Amino acid sequence: MSGTDALAGRLRLEPARGVSRQKVEDALFRGATKAFAIGVLLLLLAVLVSLVVGSLPAIRKFGLTFLWDQSWNPVKDLFGGLPAIYGTLVTSAIAMLVAVPVGLGVALFLTELCPPWAKRPIGVLVELLAAIPSIIYGIWGLFILAPVLQLTVQPFLVDVLGPIPILGALFAGPPLGLGILTAGFILAFMVLPFIAAVTRDVFQTVPAVLRESAYGIGATTAEVVRDIVIPYTRVGIVGGVMLGLGRALGETMAVTFVIGNAHHVSTSLLAPGTTISATLANEFTEAVDELYTSSLIELGLILFVITFIVLAAAKFMLMRLERRSAR
Amino acid sequence: MSIEVTPMDTPLPPPQTIRTHLVAPAVPRDKPRATTAAATAEPKIAVKDLKFFYHDFMAVKGVSLDLHDKCVTAFIGPSGCGKSTLLRCLNRIYELYPDQRATGEVMIDGANILDPKMDLNLLRARVGMVFQKPTPFPMSIYDNIAFGVRLYERLPASELDARVEHSLRRAALWDEVKDKLKASGLSLSGGQQQRLCIARAIAVKPEVLLLDEPASALDPLSTQRIEELIAELKSDYCIVIVTHNMQQAARSSDYTAFMYLGELVEFDETEAMFTHPKMRQTEDYITGRFG
Amino acid sequence: MTLYGKRRITNYVVLTLSLAATAAGLLVLFLILGALLWYGIPALKIMTFTAMTPPPGNTPGGLLNPIFGSLVITAAATALGTPIGILTGTFLAEFGRGTWVAPAVRFVNDILLSAPSIVIGLFVYEMMVVPMGHFSAWAGVVALAIIVIPVVVRTTENVLVLVPSSLREAAIALGAPRWKVIVAVTYRAAIQGMLTGVMLAVARIAGETAPLLFTALNNQFWSSNLNGPMANLPVVIFQFALSPYANWQVLAWGGAALITFTILILNILARWVASRGSFQQ
Repeated sequence: MSGTDALAGRLRLEPARGVSRQKVEDALFRGATKAFAIGVLLLLLAVLVSLVVGSLPAIRKFGLTFLWDQSWNPVKDLFGGLPAIYGTLVTSAIAMLVAVPVGLGVALFLTELCPPWAKRPIGVLVELLAAIPSIIYGIWGLFILAPVLQLTVQPFLVDVLGPIPILGALFAGPPLGLGILTAGFILAFMVLPFIAAVTRDVFQTVPAVLRESAYGIGATTAEVVRDIVIPYTRVGIVGGVMLGLGRALGETMAVTFVIGNAHHVSTSLLAPGTTISATLANEFTEAVDELYTSSLIELGLILFVITFIVLAAAKFMLMRLERRSAR
Repeated sequence: MSIEVTPMDTPLPPPQTIRTHLVAPAVPRDKPRATTAAATAEPKIAVKDLKFFYHDFMAVKGVSLDLHDKCVTAFIGPSGCGKSTLLRCLNRIYELYPDQRATGEVMIDGANILDPKMDLNLLRARVGMVFQKPTPFPMSIYDNIAFGVRLYERLPASELDARVEHSLRRAALWDEVKDKLKASGLSLSGGQQQRLCIARAIAVKPEVLLLDEPASALDPLSTQRIEELIAELKSDYCIVIVTHNMQQAARSSDYTAFMYLGELVEFDETEAMFTHPKMRQTEDYITGRFG
Repeated sequence: MTLYGKRRITNYVVLTLSLAATAAGLLVLFLILGALLWYGIPALKIMTFTAMTPPPGNTPGGLLNPIFGSLVITAAATALGTPIGILTGTFLAEFGRGTWVAPAVRFVNDILLSAPSIVIGLFVYEMMVVPMGHFSAWAGVVALAIIVIPVVVRTTENVLVLVPSSLREAAIALGAPRWKVIVAVTYRAAIQGMLTGVMLAVARIAGETAPLLFTALNNQFWSSNLNGPMANLPVVIFQFALSPYANWQVLAWGGAALITFTILILNILARWVASRGSFQQ
């Protein structure tokens, strides 16, 4: 009699369910979790593949010129991605230019300056800002921010910065309220709470001893942040910024409302333009023929690839920071 | 009272008066000696050349000993000596962790539990374990006890109630919780939680009870109650207890195994080991020369 | 100016700027909430909840069908995505150690978490709408579920990892099979965290518009048929806000207020559930 039988034979308990059934249940459960996990991997792959397949007609027709062609003529079936790509990149750049310093400032405030009783409430408010959906930012931008900008900030920019030789080209043209600059601002407001939250979390990983020793030799708060905190968390900040950039690149509704939807590349930031996601949102359901649809899907593929690269780079940087602070 | 200790052929250690203070009398109250019958009968658990590896590091180096039924065996030794590791081989709980493994034989009632074909769930229903830190499940006191029972038995409600009550009584917890069986297990004090864990372990009617430093996280009063409990439970189970408290081992156990750096240095009846340790190392440890 | 004086001024300037930044951020929040209250609340009359969307022009109407549609689609997407997310998170926390699968899944999961939601909409369009030949609420459900999954995976894994291994060992030591240890003990210990994750996921998809644009589309009329286009709040807001019709714009604000305050309440609720203290004292 084998060992297992000997022990089982002397079992005083009657198993409620067969023992082998338990093993099957265990294997099923484990298998199910693994299957879904692999499913997540396949999902990403499937998205990529379906986008590529959908873009094939456009890729075959236009090739690489799609990336810098400015035409967008559904009637003549001539499509080029440059306005959309340009708009995506420029609005995101404006968003980061505004959101990164402000977000860092908020994080600085929350970690160094804020009285303890206010830390939690203000932190919660900042995170609530991040929870507001894109479409709300859009509708607010369209009805509130754009008119305000049209009446105040934009004329100011045109008058003050317009005459400056090279910089002035950025602020030429009539102040319409809608346009690339407004879209950039709206994106900035959307990305700001995210960067603030990530940067604050990253600032808090600085060991207390490090900060205390800096204060101990008489450094001012600004110096501690500039010389100790930021260098220590540099990688994490960049990671967080890139995560924010990844989000900004893909934002749809907020941008669609205020960008003006013109397939046009203009040097002036006050002019209307478009982004990849705005183009998709506005035109996809109206695209009737295959080439039109395929060009739109190709735009989606380009967006996906750009975002993927940015997010993957961000993830690598944040992983490096996690490993450092785990030491 | 004077206690005779004959050291091996080594120079006489410091005055005997110090040693009498450090070593508790080996026979407290009315603890009966393990009967000769039990001592010569087949051991409940026979460990044969057990080696245990964390990755490539050998933490237990070829240990062999016998554990007898209806007795308490204590594993003692300094931190890191492998006593907890040895205990955890007896119900193969290390299988949860991929880079831990054991070789050798552990025969329980003549069946080698290290055999890969051994059913682990059944093994653990037969060999119960109580941990150092009390771990009540996040459920009611009743459900905590019933959890293990429901795994293997289909009992009608009245019998389940009776089993729960019986386990709580034997764990000396019934009077304190009988009116709040639906309360969460986490609402109890530390000592009560540990007794809950003991009740939970005995509710499935195991044959062996493994206790891994069961009182080290508790206050002295709770510790005393746990020790009294162990003395009572001994009559029904083969109990193995790991402890870093030598006095506890001397008070509560029938047999003691002293381990050092993964090796079994000495294994004997408790009274004999504490009064006439055969190995120099054992005596040094018992007298507190190293911790 | 002494060096010390310069340093003091720099410090003062930096700190003031950081205070200004925080004030600006909070100002934006209050401006948005204020606008929603100002324009949105008046639009939330009883009729908004009982009447269907009106045709453009001066006819009064409500948001009954989009509210219903959003509730149905959101609930279905949560029901679809949550179990998948929980099981995947369980794999990462309990079974994934040592394999190559777990780090790869974590990486991909984080990418999906921040991926543009309009691309997800495109994907589901290609996978479901085209083969089926028509728009459908089911496609919208799938698109939103794809957004739910990464959120739930992340929170589930984070919370399961926090459950102390001594609890798992105690259950295994009683002879429980592995799956039972996870389901009956580990999940129970982590239930508050998992619930928080689900609430945050719901808050996230409640306002998502882009994925629904080419999947569930929209519907002027009442529909409870998930196999066809279904009205939903975000797309209705999109359509109405950009239109020139006054009655539509008013309803757009009303819908916006409804969505925003629901999401904010869900967020605050999720925080409250998480902070009630874990089961492990």
